[in-house]
Amino acid sequence: MDLKQLRKNAAADFKARGFPTTKEELWRFTDVSELAEREFSNDWAPASVDFQPLGKHVLVFENGKLSREKSCIDNLPHGVCMGSIMDLVDPRVGRLADAQSAFVAANTAYFSDGAFIELTEGIELAEPIHLVYLADADGSAFHLRNLISCGKGSSVAVVEEYIGRSDPSDRSYWTNAVTEIFAADDSSVDHYKIQRESKTAYHFQTLEAQLGANAVFCNHSIALGSGLGRNDIRGKLTGEGGEAICNGLYLLNGKQHFDTHLFMDHAVPKCKSHELYKGILDQKARAVFCGRILVQQDAQQTDAIQSNKNLLLSRAAKIHSLPQLEIYADDVKCTHGATIGQLDDVALYYLQTRGIDPVRGRAMLTYAFANEVLDEVKCKPVKTRIEALVYEWLEKVSA
Amino acid sequence: MALLDIQDLHANVAGNKILKGINLTINPGEVHAIMGPNGSGKSTLSNVLAGNEVYEKTQGEIHFDGQNLDDLAAHERACAGLFLAFQYPVEIPGISNMYFLKSAVNAVRKYRGEEQLDAMDFLDLVEEKKKIVKIRDDLLERAVNSGFSGGEKKRNEIFQMAMLEPKLGILDETDSGLDIDALRIVSDGVNALRSPDRGFLVITHYQRLLDYIVPDFVHVMIHGQIVKSGGKELALELEHDGYAFWAGEEGP
Repeated sequence: MDLKQLRKNAAADFKARGFPTTKEELWRFTDVSELAEREFSNDWAPASVDFQPLGKHVLVFENGKLSREKSCIDNLPHGVCMGSIMDLVDPRVGRLADAQSAFVAANTAYFSDGAFIELTEGIELAEPIHLVYLADADGSAFHLRNLISCGKGSSVAVVEEYIGRSDPSDRSYWTNAVTEIFAADDSSVDHYKIQRESKTAYHFQTLEAQLGANAVFCNHSIALGSGLGRNDIRGKLTGEGGEAICNGLYLLNGKQHFDTHLFMDHAVPKCKSHELYKGILDQKARAVFCGRILVQQDAQQTDAIQSNKNLLLSRAAKIHSLPQLEIYADDVKCTHGATIGQLDDVALYYLQTRGIDPVRGRAMLTYAFANEVLDEVKCKPVKTRIEALVYEWLEKVSA
Repeated sequence: MALLDIQDLHANVAGNKILKGINLTINPGEVHAIMGPNGSGKSTLSNVLAGNEVYEKTQGEIHFDGQNLDDLAAHERACAGLFLAFQYPVEIPGISNMYFLKSAVNAVRKYRGEEQLDAMDFLDLVEEKKKIVKIRDDLLERAVNSGFSGGEKKRNEIFQMAMLEPKLGILDETDSGLDIDALRIVSDGVNALRSPDRGFLVITHYQRLLDYIVPDFVHVMIHGQIVKSGGKELALELEHDGYAFWAGEEGP
């Protein structure tokens, strides 16, 4: 099916099914009726949002459209292709993400820009590719479509950073992104997502990754922004020896609601998937974590670990944690666990007896809680950026 | 002026009366040992002194270096120069020992109106102090007490004490869980920190520790009260007669 037909079908699909309701199992705790009732336009305006590039390979999307001025796509080594998906239309669009949800259908039907990245066989890109999405157009919807293809034995780090205005504003927009990642045999894809949209924005993204034999996919997702948001992360292990690491951190306050739905599909033997998600919730924030691991009948010697740990800093904060294992093979190593707790009073007392005041002690312990996720971030500039964002968030919370 | 002056101290834990009228004075340079059986209130005393809010002081007065301890929160007591070496040091995953120590040292320096140590000065201080308890470099990089052996944790406590240079060091059963070699290293560390203007309160079950850290005074604590005080020879008597004699119960 060609892309035109695919998009036509998706539009029909979206119209037919509409937005999900809380009656659907996958949307039980995330109510999008407020979003469904709103009207969004596609009028374009420049964005006045600051960003700092991570390295020299940068694509900047301004209110949903690629800005060639702000981007930097020179100096790409041979074997690396990067640009707007509208210019480099690929037959693989929609192959991984098609009809999973109304959001994917809307994206397929209406996407107007996004990043295309391709690495040919054996190419290793040392510096990260930074995809920046700046947004501040009130009442606009941005359907962004990204496709990342890594050839056999190639290696790359890609950072998706969604940035809204940090000052308190009533600008409300809807980011609806879909990213499809093809990781061929023996490739290594380090994927980061930093979501710091405006606190009044809606942010939804579906990430689909397909891994070949011995491919390594390492995903870190940090969510600090948006009023109502959700990440759907779906990994499919289709070749033996594949390894998927999906870690995340959500830091929420005010009335923010953020939902993470992870799905890991072990279709073949000898694959590994490790997931560590941590959340820190203050004030009246709400979070949902649903992690489902499917181990198919043929997927013997699967090694799957999932852990979701939450720290509630206020009595009014709430988390729904739903770990799920579905195992049809008999020779597997699978564990999952979820914890919800407060800061450790004994640890706080210990810090105090060493002269550290309780305000600083709480900030140190909160940071320590998040640190386990940051520890795993290998790409140095990304780590520095995330650490700074976490510090900044903690300072606001403890102030 | 006494370094620590405790008058008629009563304290409760979860509504239970544990301390029932403690009187104790420690002058600068003195090492006092408190010995007593399990449940006599030794650890309660150390926690009340350190400012643990779980323990409720119901009566009496405590003065430390001229200040009424009631006026100081736990962290202020630490900054003022009171240090508690924990019986069970707390593990804090996610915070490296070095970062923890630097935060502590600078918090104390700030309180005392001294300049903050930068990274280089701090490392110099670590180099100087780590010799005292022969602490390994890898333990400094690891998360606070996480995965440390019992002996390593106790050594880390004494190392922290060396870094913070308190006026009064309280050792709460520092000897528990230590083998003889670790006991010697920890004791040597404490002895190295003894000085004419620093006092120590050593809380222990056993006389053994006092062979290494020789006290000036020994107090016997039973049922929340100090029932006898004396010189270092009192520890030997206790070793011979047991606590039961002092508790008014039948001896061995």
